[in-house]
Amino acid sequence: MTVSRRLPLLLIPATLFLLVIYVWPSLGLFRNAFNEVGPTGAMVEAWSLATWRATFHDSFTFELTLNSLWLSSVSTLIALCMAYPVSLFLFRTDSRFRGLLAVVAIMPMLVSGVVRVFGWLAILGDRGLVNTTLQSLGLISTPLKLVFNWTGVTIGLAESIMPYMILALLAGFGRLDRTLEEAARSLGASPFRTFRRVTLPLSLPAIALAAGLGFVLSMSAYITPKLLGGGRVFVLATEIFEQATTNTNWPVAAVLAIYTLVLLLALLVVSNLVARRLQR
Amino acid sequence: MLTRRLAIQSGLATIAMPAVLRAQTLSGQITLMSYAGIFQDNYTKTVIEPFQQKHPGVKVNFVPGGSSAQMVGSVRAQKADPQTDVVIMDVTTSSIGNLEGLFEKLTPAEFPVLNELLPEARAAGGEFGPAVTFDHLVIVQDAALNPQLTKLADVWRPDLKGHIALAAPPNIQGLALTAMTEKMEGGDYRKSIDAAMKKLKELAPGVNTFDPNPDGYSLILNGVAKVATGWNARAQLYSDQTNGKINVLLPPEGSVFQVNTINLTAGSKNRAAAAAFVAHALSQDAQKAFTERMFYAPSNAKAQIDAKALARTAASPENLARMIPVDWNEVLKVRDQWNNRWRREVIAAAR
Repeated sequence: MTVSRRLPLLLIPATLFLLVIYVWPSLGLFRNAFNEVGPTGAMVEAWSLATWRATFHDSFTFELTLNSLWLSSVSTLIALCMAYPVSLFLFRTDSRFRGLLAVVAIMPMLVSGVVRVFGWLAILGDRGLVNTTLQSLGLISTPLKLVFNWTGVTIGLAESIMPYMILALLAGFGRLDRTLEEAARSLGASPFRTFRRVTLPLSLPAIALAAGLGFVLSMSAYITPKLLGGGRVFVLATEIFEQATTNTNWPVAAVLAIYTLVLLLALLVVSNLVARRLQR
Repeated sequence: MLTRRLAIQSGLATIAMPAVLRAQTLSGQITLMSYAGIFQDNYTKTVIEPFQQKHPGVKVNFVPGGSSAQMVGSVRAQKADPQTDVVIMDVTTSSIGNLEGLFEKLTPAEFPVLNELLPEARAAGGEFGPAVTFDHLVIVQDAALNPQLTKLADVWRPDLKGHIALAAPPNIQGLALTAMTEKMEGGDYRKSIDAAMKKLKELAPGVNTFDPNPDGYSLILNGVAKVATGWNARAQLYSDQTNGKINVLLPPEGSVFQVNTINLTAGSKNRAAAAAFVAHALSQDAQKAFTERMFYAPSNAKAQIDAKALARTAASPENLARMIPVDWNEVLKVRDQWNNRWRREVIAAAR
């Protein structure tokens, strides 16, 4: 057997691993979606579409979908506006500290999500850094409501996806050629015009890639909406958790999990199509 | 010479011999799954360690199982190959486990201690694992709050706006609060919760969080909230541990029992030791020790509890009179309906 023919054998360990830890549990989840829950909460083994019908007849499912899409869109947009300049700076800088700066930019990824969220509670709470500072400067008399609502969740989520978006942008900046910008400048374009007509269009594939990643991560985020939402922010991820671990309603949790997965796959396909079109 | 006394003693010894031998020969490991944190710490000291002293051959591994629903989920997932032997969890979830065949029925013939339990304790589990502790919903308040709350209706006081932490349904605290508010408004939760919804809607804009994390007691101690809902036992212990920084109120309008049952897992791999542990946990000594340590009301009617400790539980006659009888199996049937009403009416009014 030639080396090239033997190459696919390298895929066997990873395939087996994924089959055991991902495909098999996913099939179990799929099976649960067809079970029913009796009036006293006990799960009844069945092959029934009753849970699917009940879930999609409930207007709350669509409220959850809209909430998730809205929250993910806003968080992704905010994170993109913050991540783009950082990534561009890291991509362009010749500083010998470039590596260190890159590590600093993605450092939040290395900290547990729960710890980061509790950090936000300390910063945004009624007696947190932001409110204390604003009150001591005399800008506000009563604390602003920055946590346990949509504002807190949006801020926390944007921060949590930003490092991933920085990495995605850096990976996608490959086509960004400095000589093209220099050519634009030498032809008399202002820095803003150069950015608008050269830099931004060339970095659109990277933006699409980062936005897709940020959106998917926001849609599946659980810790931030749960801890910073104060029970007011209902999204698909929190509902799946509540149904599985508080209501013991595994069939509904499974239906919502499959629905979310399909929704995310559809969004990824759209994101990839956009990225490809922009690369042409 | 064989006297009558000797004959009786020999007879009794013969009858008791299998049990004595069984107790002496119990060995191996059992896994107990229940709540983490202060429950685990105090249960280990007052119940598990004395059991292990009585049965040196048995090791009890305490596995923190998260919430009751997470515990029943774990047992459900391990149905084909049970990894836990005994589970202490809320009755609303243990009844789900009973219906799904996850737990064993217990008989008075095998567990004579069942005959010592309060009728409510036996009724809680039916033929399955009975109540091992009773707790009740309380209002927890910052001791520095002036004036202190003296009744449930005080939670609606204007000065508390923005300082209230409630656990909304499907959390069992939210379900209990719904029944309590309905009673406060002169209604009966078995007929309707309309009055409770109306009253809670008025409260909603002043609620800081409907999902206290890590819990209402901590939020008060950290200054995030001034008033929260909580469970009596934990609240009493936190009050002691913080030298009275939080106060515990059993509202005169009434409160609701929360029942924890003890359950023997079907197919337990070390059933004899697990059954011995269940019997020990329900025994007078274990019930007395745990109640005096953590202020859960005992389920064993014969347990001789210190009067001071008893007064801090719902088992004292004065507190018992305030309890609203709630059939959790009936509440389970309307749980989703209550949950939806909270989301659409109460929490929606807080946005």
